[in-house]
Amino acid sequence: MTWLPYAVAAWLLAAGLYGLASSRNLIHLVGCLSVCQSATYALLLGLGYRWGSIAPIFYDHPPGTPAVDPVMQALVLTDIVVGATLTALLLVLTVQIFKRTGTLDPEQLKPMRRRGDPAGADAPRSAEHPSR
Amino acid sequence: MSPRLRLALLGAALAGLLPGAVAVIRRLPEFGATIAAYGERINAIVPAERHVANMVSAINFDLRGLDTLGEEFMLLAAITGTVVLLRGRRGENTTDRAMRLPGRAILPRSEAVVLACRLAGPLLMMFGLYVVLHATVTPGGGFQGGVILASGTLLAYVGEGYAGWRDVIRSHWLDAMEGGGALLFALCGLAPMLTGAAFMQNVLPFGTFRDLFSGGLMLIENAGVALAVCGGFTQLFLEFLEETREAAGPEEPGEESA
Amino acid sequence: MSVFLPLIFLLTAASGTAVVLVRDPNRQIFAICANGLVLTILFTALQAPDVALSELAVGAAAVPLLFLVALMAVRAGKVERENGKGGDS
Repeated sequence: MTWLPYAVAAWLLAAGLYGLASSRNLIHLVGCLSVCQSATYALLLGLGYRWGSIAPIFYDHPPGTPAVDPVMQALVLTDIVVGATLTALLLVLTVQIFKRTGTLDPEQLKPMRRRGDPAGADAPRSAEHPSR
Repeated sequence: MSPRLRLALLGAALAGLLPGAVAVIRRLPEFGATIAAYGERINAIVPAERHVANMVSAINFDLRGLDTLGEEFMLLAAITGTVVLLRGRRGENTTDRAMRLPGRAILPRSEAVVLACRLAGPLLMMFGLYVVLHATVTPGGGFQGGVILASGTLLAYVGEGYAGWRDVIRSHWLDAMEGGGALLFALCGLAPMLTGAAFMQNVLPFGTFRDLFSGGLMLIENAGVALAVCGGFTQLFLEFLEETREAAGPEEPGEESA
Repeated sequence: MSVFLPLIFLLTAASGTAVVLVRDPNRQIFAICANGLVLTILFTALQAPDVALSELAVGAAAVPLLFLVALMAVRAGKVERENGKGGDS
């Protein structure tokens, strides 16, 4: 039990990375990235937990009652909200890639494909980054 | 790189990192045994020093307020980027009808759904407002309440349909909320400097412990975050749902379609 | 409680793995929803009600909606492409 939360965090990170490496669909890939992100939640909150402690809110319990670490919770809290907007940004990029190239498969996006319009040649290059 | 080669590379990298990860996990403090000294001191000191019951809000808005300011502008930048990408690509050439795929039946919205949404929508907004206002007392705050408020507007979409939702939500207001919230937070940092205090020093009276009005400057910062998050997320929903509008036919560009 | 927490952690690992292994994006949305709910339970069990509240609002409502709309836009783009040249609007 003492190592389980950290092992779960490592497992989630590894599973997310496997998904990133093997994904054939950019929307699926964004979902895998969120799994990587949840690894940090498990790690941080696991580090901040203490058996028998209350939540760090001293409304029902008087101040001084042993409470879990509030710093980790503040970190995770802002991470979740900002992470959601970043997910939105990635999804928009995905939709734009699809509109320009007609595919969502990272394998079919060739980095330097020569096409008629310079804008069309731009999109696949930026699409290569999430698949690495 | 072929997919198989890439997976092999990933497997080799993970296998190489595994001993390191095991060593790190073995050296980490035992789960549930102890917490970091910083958090322990915050729990001990802050309730008396700031008259605030919710430690997480105290950290977000007071002790580490500068970090939250950074987060706030990350949020603003991400949402601005999303909106610019979507609007720049879309242009003006869309109708105000919802798109429909050919060959798929559209079921009329049942009255039960409309009624449930009209009942639940205001209640959800009330709850969001409650979560925002009680940031320093009970679990909640600008981040959570803002997202709840933004989700509440979605019930209007579910209940009234796209056109009804568009009638309620004005994009300009959302821009003002999003930018104004971030501005309010930044001003909360700068205003104490006028009195000679440090950046974001809590100069207002702290109020009474376990009361709605506790925490001084935190309340204003919290309101700024709530405005920015609520406006930003509603803006995201709005711009994403614009994507589902039916495109105007390419042959008649002259008619007024908005 | 000491039995409960490990179970929740294992459930988190399982639901995260499910998000990766469900390859069809249409089905993956449900896995993402489930993952958000499991994370919410985990945060509540770890005495983090603030975080649980925000994960509940973001992970179970906002993010799946964004995924749904992205899929909708992609499907609409496919239809436009099949219909011919109108897809560059």
